[in-house]
Amino acid sequence: MDQSKRRRGRREGEGRKSYRPSLGKERSKRLSLCLIGMLPVLVVHGGAGQIPKERVEMASAGVRAAARAGYAVLQGGRSSMDAVVEAVTNLENNPSFNAGYGSVLNVKGEVEMDAIVMDGRTLASGAVSAVRNIANPIQLARLVMEQTSHLCLTAGGAGQFARAMGMPEVPGDSLITEYARMRWKKNLAPNANPVESQMGKMGTVGAVAVDEDGNIACATSTGGMLNKMEGRVGDTACIGCGGYADNRAGAVSPTGHGEAIMKVTLARLILFHMAQGMSPEEASDLGLATMKERVEGLGGVVTVDPQGRWAARFTTTQMAWAAAQGGTLHFGVFSGEDVTQDIGDPN
Amino acid sequence: MKAVLVVHGGAWAIPDELADASVKGVKAAASEGYRVLGTGGSALDAVEKAVRAMEDNPVFDAGHGAVLNADGEVELDAIIMDGQTLGSGAVSCVQNIANPVSLARAVMEKTDHVMLTSRGANLFAERIGFKTAPTETLVTAYERREWEKAKEYGAGVKELFHSQLCHDTVGAVAVDSCGNVACATSTGGIRNKMVGRVGDSPVIGAGGYADNRSGAVSCTGHGESILKVTLARLIIFHIEQGKEVEDAVELSLRYMDERVHGGGGAIAVSPSGQWAATFTTERMAWAAAEQGTLWYGLNPQERFQDKPVQ
Repeated sequence: MDQSKRRRGRREGEGRKSYRPSLGKERSKRLSLCLIGMLPVLVVHGGAGQIPKERVEMASAGVRAAARAGYAVLQGGRSSMDAVVEAVTNLENNPSFNAGYGSVLNVKGEVEMDAIVMDGRTLASGAVSAVRNIANPIQLARLVMEQTSHLCLTAGGAGQFARAMGMPEVPGDSLITEYARMRWKKNLAPNANPVESQMGKMGTVGAVAVDEDGNIACATSTGGMLNKMEGRVGDTACIGCGGYADNRAGAVSPTGHGEAIMKVTLARLILFHMAQGMSPEEASDLGLATMKERVEGLGGVVTVDPQGRWAARFTTTQMAWAAAQGGTLHFGVFSGEDVTQDIGDPN
Repeated sequence: MKAVLVVHGGAWAIPDELADASVKGVKAAASEGYRVLGTGGSALDAVEKAVRAMEDNPVFDAGHGAVLNADGEVELDAIIMDGQTLGSGAVSCVQNIANPVSLARAVMEKTDHVMLTSRGANLFAERIGFKTAPTETLVTAYERREWEKAKEYGAGVKELFHSQLCHDTVGAVAVDSCGNVACATSTGGIRNKMVGRVGDSPVIGAGGYADNRSGAVSCTGHGESILKVTLARLIIFHIEQGKEVEDAVELSLRYMDERVHGGGGAIAVSPSGQWAATFTTERMAWAAAEQGTLWYGLNPQERFQDKPVQ
């Protein structure tokens, strides 16, 4: 694709930017970030918790595949929004993760999903909560952002909108895996502890990215908490909690104990710290520590700043994550782990 | 510790024919909430009481008097938050409940969750014995008429004049004699909104936030804009940085205007009893009770004084 075609594609529908004298300086700063391989960048997570040994490899393989898919979008010159939606769609379609196909079940044994996208350039956002019978809630969330004047649609209304958009309706059963059903049954026991169990096994998925234009985006998707009450909405559908993106500060996509993430508005909290000058790693660690201290909640985040610095941090035992930048794939599952491989490597 | 309670009845271009009733309504609600504080009640009890008073008052778009969605039905949102524990409860798109703020409190106190939506929220209400209110008892004839008008003329105009949209969400913030803060916000949303539309009111950090370490906030105005800048949390962030409560609110509203061209208002209170009621829309009905005095206003710069309503 030649340069001019690429740019036009991205500019469609954006309108003219007003003249700003500093534009030249910002643009050259961005160009140098691209030249040294800092931009574009994409980081994904597949959930923070305690992944059982037998599921670690598929979780890691899953986030690596999603990161590659999202990064390919960025390398093709497309936007960070396209990239995060691509990565999260990939994870929703992968039954190993608690999003889309593979979602955990609510107390009635049914799938209800939450998702959010946010565009750091305009602060536009779209979210759905407690939506049923669609394969890719993240795409519906994006449609809410682009096709309505609202930011969030819930439950039946979200379903109505999906139909109006021509999104195929899928039978609820088609989203349910044997593993999810097994976890649900186990947690129906009166002395079961769903929060602990949740931390145990399956996670929300998410991605953050900065594209070559310096535009930042985030996306998060989940089936929610194991055996949750019908209609329970967690952090994922709540802007500032389950995700936030701002070209001026960065983007965050969290995972973990949803109610705790909400109480400290974790995504927004981390970006406040970054606006004060902290690095993505420092800000993420401080946000997670605050959540642990104030509301005894554990979790993880993937975070990125406008310069392309990124972090994948968590206070749980594990978090499957992968980051793509400058032709290199970084990934890990256990605390302190950071394996690198060439992005072209098929594994 | 100085006990303070502040309420708002919505930031928007309140028409003259609703102005008197709105001001009367916020004064009565503030007085009721303040009475709770005066007898040693908690900030949480006080904000719930004040918001209930406004939900019961058909002049405000919350509980009774709620606006109708595109299908001609009532869908209600509410949030309550306890600054001491950061505990919170919220409901979105709940139907036929006269006092959503109390249902939100039940979510906080009787479940492990922070937010319930739609049918799930209604099932929970039923399970704990909340009475349902038939739609006709919640919707005024005025609203039915306005809704039919809006349906006839389409949604085009409303996109341009955000502040003229009926935005009379209600809310309250308080600090009690122990220094605990709390907030509560309740709404019927925007007239003719899409079915299932969730605005800022039930979203923690947007429609409200409370933290004993800095203060409590309740917001009103263009919901989508409030969400984009997580207005309540932004105000709290400025207070955390050492700003005076009033400056924190003004800065945040100005930022919302500049960044996303949204209008609105907010009330805020700090643990030490500093408070503010500020707005960028044409009007906001608000009232604040402290030290036996009731302050209130409607138009910008207004600050009238009275005794709390008995």
